[in-house]
Amino acid sequence: MEILKYIGMGLVVIGAIFLFLGALGIYRMPDVYNRMQAGTKATTLGAIGLILGVGFMQPEWIIKTLIIIIFIAIANPLSSHALARAAYRNKQKPYMKNKVDAYEKVVYDNPENKKEEE
Amino acid sequence: MKKYLAIFLLLIVGFYLIQAFNLVPFGANRVGNIDDESTVGAYYLKNTVPKTSVANVVTAIVVNYRGFDTLGEVTVLFLATTGLGSILFRKRKHGEEEERVLKESSQLVKIGSRLLFPFIALLGIYVFIHGHLTPGGGFQGGAIIATGFLLMLVAYKNYKLGHGALTWIESLAGITFAGIGIWGLITGGTFLENNAFPGLGNVNDLISGGVIPIIYIAVGFKVAAELTGVLDILLSIKPNKN
Repeated sequence: MEILKYIGMGLVVIGAIFLFLGALGIYRMPDVYNRMQAGTKATTLGAIGLILGVGFMQPEWIIKTLIIIIFIAIANPLSSHALARAAYRNKQKPYMKNKVDAYEKVVYDNPENKKEEE
Repeated sequence: MKKYLAIFLLLIVGFYLIQAFNLVPFGANRVGNIDDESTVGAYYLKNTVPKTSVANVVTAIVVNYRGFDTLGEVTVLFLATTGLGSILFRKRKHGEEEERVLKESSQLVKIGSRLLFPFIALLGIYVFIHGHLTPGGGFQGGAIIATGFLLMLVAYKNYKLGHGALTWIESLAGITFAGIGIWGLITGGTFLENNAFPGLGNVNDLISGGVIPIIYIAVGFKVAAELTGVLDILLSIKPNKN
């Protein structure tokens, strides 16, 4: 069972690294969407790595940790999606050095949304 | 003249306040010393588990030693909901459908919240069923269930809550709480007598602690129904167009 322990430790370290990168991204990124990407994508992987690592270190907890991981895998991208969508609809402009805003056509060419703006 | 009367009354109140404070020995620690049998904290810690066979001392104090107070708290919550409903009540024209102010959510949010809702409700139920064993209880479990309903209300613009069902759940839970209290009086004990109903059982069993788990389950249902009603009322208000 020593091997499982070391695998778990490795996973915890990977998770911690990704969580750190997420925090760094929130600090460094230029606009809402990039920050949100750092704060949700990186932390999803970080949290999953961390929790799975704990599950490997304590094998009797593995089922509980898997349930938590499923919950995070559903809830975290979902909430970031909803937040990003709400931010765009409230006219938070993306960072324009990217020069591409593919979502603009989807939102503003839709007749329903034009009605809402009036 | 009025001024002198006020000063006189204040002097009387102040005199009795000082008298009351003089009853407490200056600088004495009346709560913290666990070995001192005369303090209330030590009494609870020593006697709760043998007398009520409830592992969670906080729950035993909230629901049993001060159960009457909790009944009052639940009533306050009920009154708050009623007040909110009566203040924010909007007269609808005949046949007008109730409409929420939120915009339609995306398909992903809808499906995801439908997936998550049963698990959130399950967690809430778990929290209030195990209120006498683990941290948490009726209020917390009810709040968790209400967050599940909040998710559904945010995701679905036309999500309908059965107001009749909410009222029934709330009333039945309240009646259960008060009825258990009166049952204690009928069986010859006090109001909210602990060992009146299913017996005490063993510490750390799911069915143990007399009426405490039953009361907490009733409180959980009541809080969930009330908070859900509050959320529904708040989400149905239309902002002024001007």
